[in-house]
Parts: sequence; C-alpha cells; structure tokens
Amino acid sequence: MQQRVSNLRRAVVAEVEDINRLIYHVLRGGVVVSVAILLFGFVLVAFSGQPIPESGSIPPRALARPLFTFTPEGYLSLGVLVLIFTPVVRVFLSLVSFARERDRQYVLMTAIVFANLLVSLVLLA
Amino acid sequence: MSIAVLLILAIAAFLAGLGGSYLGVGGGIFLIPFMTLALSVNIKVAIATSLIGVIANSSGAASVYVRDHLTNLRLAMFLEVATTLGAIAGALVGLGVPDFYLYVVFGVVVLYAATTMARIRETAKERAYQAGEEAPLTKRLKLSSVYFDQEDQGVYRYRVERPVAGFGVSAAAGLFSGLLGVGGGFIKVPAMNVLMRVPMKAAVATSNFMIGVTAAASAFIYYSQGLVDPGLAAMVIIGVFSGTNLGTRLLAHAKSSNVRFVFALFLAVLGTAMVARLFLPGVPI
Repeated sequence: MQQRVSNLRRAVVAEVEDINRLIYHVLRGGVVVSVAILLFGFVLVAFSGQPIPESGSIPPRALARPLFTFTPEGYLSLGVLVLIFTPVVRVFLSLVSFARERDRQYVLMTAIVFANLLVSLVLLA
Repeated sequence: MSIAVLLILAIAAFLAGLGGSYLGVGGGIFLIPFMTLALSVNIKVAIATSLIGVIANSSGAASVYVRDHLTNLRLAMFLEVATTLGAIAGALVGLGVPDFYLYVVFGVVVLYAATTMARIRETAKERAYQAGEEAPLTKRLKLSSVYFDQEDQGVYRYRVERPVAGFGVSAAAGLFSGLLGVGGGFIKVPAMNVLMRVPMKAAVATSNFMIGVTAAASAFIYYSQGLVDPGLAAMVIIGVFSGTNLGTRLLAHAKSSNVRFVFALFLAVLGTAMVARLFLPGVPI
C-alpha cells in the first residue's frame, strides 16, 4: 500500500514537472522568437536605408502583404504580435493540463481567462 | 523617431526589465513617465508600448520562476480571472478618457507605488505554516502550496489566507494595468504578501507570471486601435528582454532592499514630474 502511494506521488510530481517545463519553454520560446523577428526587422530597416517607420501597428489581417514584400513594418509588427500571443498560448496549455487532471474547477477558471483573452482578441480583429 | 531616441529607449527598457523582474513589477511604471517626459511620446502610445514591454518582462522572468518552482500556478490562475476582467475594463475606459486625466491618475499611482515600495519588508517570509482551519475557498481550490528557496536550499510550505480579498485586489490591479499600461505588480505583490500571507519570493514570482496574461488582455485592445508603434515596441521588447535575463539571475542571490529603495526614490521623482508637467505653461499633452 505504502509502495503504491509513493509511486502515485512520484507520478504526480513528474506530471507537475512536465507542465512547469512546458510553460517554461513556451514563455521563453515566445520571447526569443519575437526578439529574433524584431532583429530581422531592424536588419531590413538597415538595408532599406530609410528611417525606422513611424506608422501605427499593422492589424493581423493586413500583415500578409508587408511580410511577403519584406518591409520592415511587417516584421516589426509580427514580432510584437508573437509576443502578445505568447501568454495566450500559455493559458491554453494550462487549460489542457487542468483538463487532463480532470480538475473541473480549474478548467472552468482557466476557460474564463481564455474567454476574456478571446473577447479582447475579437476587438482586435 | 531618430536612432538616438530609440537607443535611449532601449537602455531605459533594459533598466525597467532589470528592476521589474527583480522586484516583481512589470517595469511599465518606470517606462511610461520616461517615454512621456523624456521622449515626448503621446501618453496613450506610451501606455500601449509599455504593455508590450510588460509582457516581455513577464514572459522572460516568469518562465525562469516557473522552472525554479517559485510560482504558485493555481493561485495565479485563480487571480487571473480577476485581473483579465479588470484589464479589459481598464483598457476600454483608458481609450475613452482624455489624456489629462491619465496623467493625473498615473502620477498619483506612481507616487503610491513609490511609498509601498519603500515600506515593504524584505524578510517577510512568513514561513511558519499556521495552525487552524484554512479559509474554505483556499481549501476548495487547493491554493496553498510549497516553494523552493535557493537562498537556504529549503522547501517551504505556506498557505493562502483571505482568497476573496486577494481576488478583489487583483481585479483592481488588472484595472490599473489596462488603464495605465503598467503590470500592477506594485499592487499585487504587497497584497499577496501582507494580505494573503504568501512568502515574498513566491509572491514576486506569481505576480510576474500573472502580469503577462493581464497585459495581453488589454494589449490586444490597444493594438487594434493602432496605438502600438512597432519601432518603439521593438526597442522596448529587446531592452526589457536583456534586462530581465540579468534580473532573474540576480533575484536568486542578492539582497534587493537597496535596489528597492533606489527604485522607490526614482518613482517618487517621476510621479512628481508627471503631475508637475500638467501645470507647466506651454507644455503640450
């Protein structure tokens, strides 16, 4: 019995460890990717020989064209968007992990947070 | 925007990231006065840009704290329900309010932050696991937790008191975050530490973790209004990212009481300047 309990405990700790690791990689990865895209944007600025654009942010739906034509504004906006989306991905992962633990209360709370982010996202679109 | 201005902004963002990750605040409370006063950026653009910096700070620092088992993920999730709702409300209010009021509210909030920052007791670890019944909600949501302290290599168990009050304070912190573009750590960290009795390091880490999601909720709204200037935001992200990397390394080892005092003093000056600016003749807002 004691053996089973300790095995179970180890499994739970391993599970928590997995989630912590995953969150670490997502948050860290999001920032690193964002910084990489932004640096690429600044390289494009240097090549274009023009001053850094002062235009406002480009909405996501209008982003494809500036990206394909390799304009600095496009990549600077994309880098910023990747960063803003990082926490959204993190919340989604938490949602999945609480669902796997069958922790209903936390699934509900995480879903509310996710819904709040989506509401704000709809305002963006 | 000239190259020189952008470089100055990157350095300021570096300092904000350094101080922010170290003290559990988003760093926006320092960036916004700097952008509006020193670089003459419009306050709403400054708020939007700062929110982006706050996310960079949170993602960078929080990831390390999660890995090091300082963050209370359940408590964060519970309080994020309040902070995200507050943030959306704050952003919608902020967009509709004339700049003049934003300056006034910001000045007052910065001065308030300076005083809390100076008063906070660094060693308030509250390590003893108190006896008696837990609050019903704490028990139900399994909010109490453990954290690992690198300073003495110990694992400390703590419980969370007054969850409902903490939830309310978090909603207010979210509101200020959306309204003013700050992380709200200066509200959440003392609230978690003093009110909810979460040990300081766990409170800093958990606050930092929540700040990213909170700021994202309002950042989308500011972005949609075209208020995020990609060039400014890029500089802030890169600066904050570098500062955060250094700050998280420092938190594990050094004493932060001196940094805290300097930061508080600095905030007091900035807050006074923000308010004073309103009464200077001929300064465009």
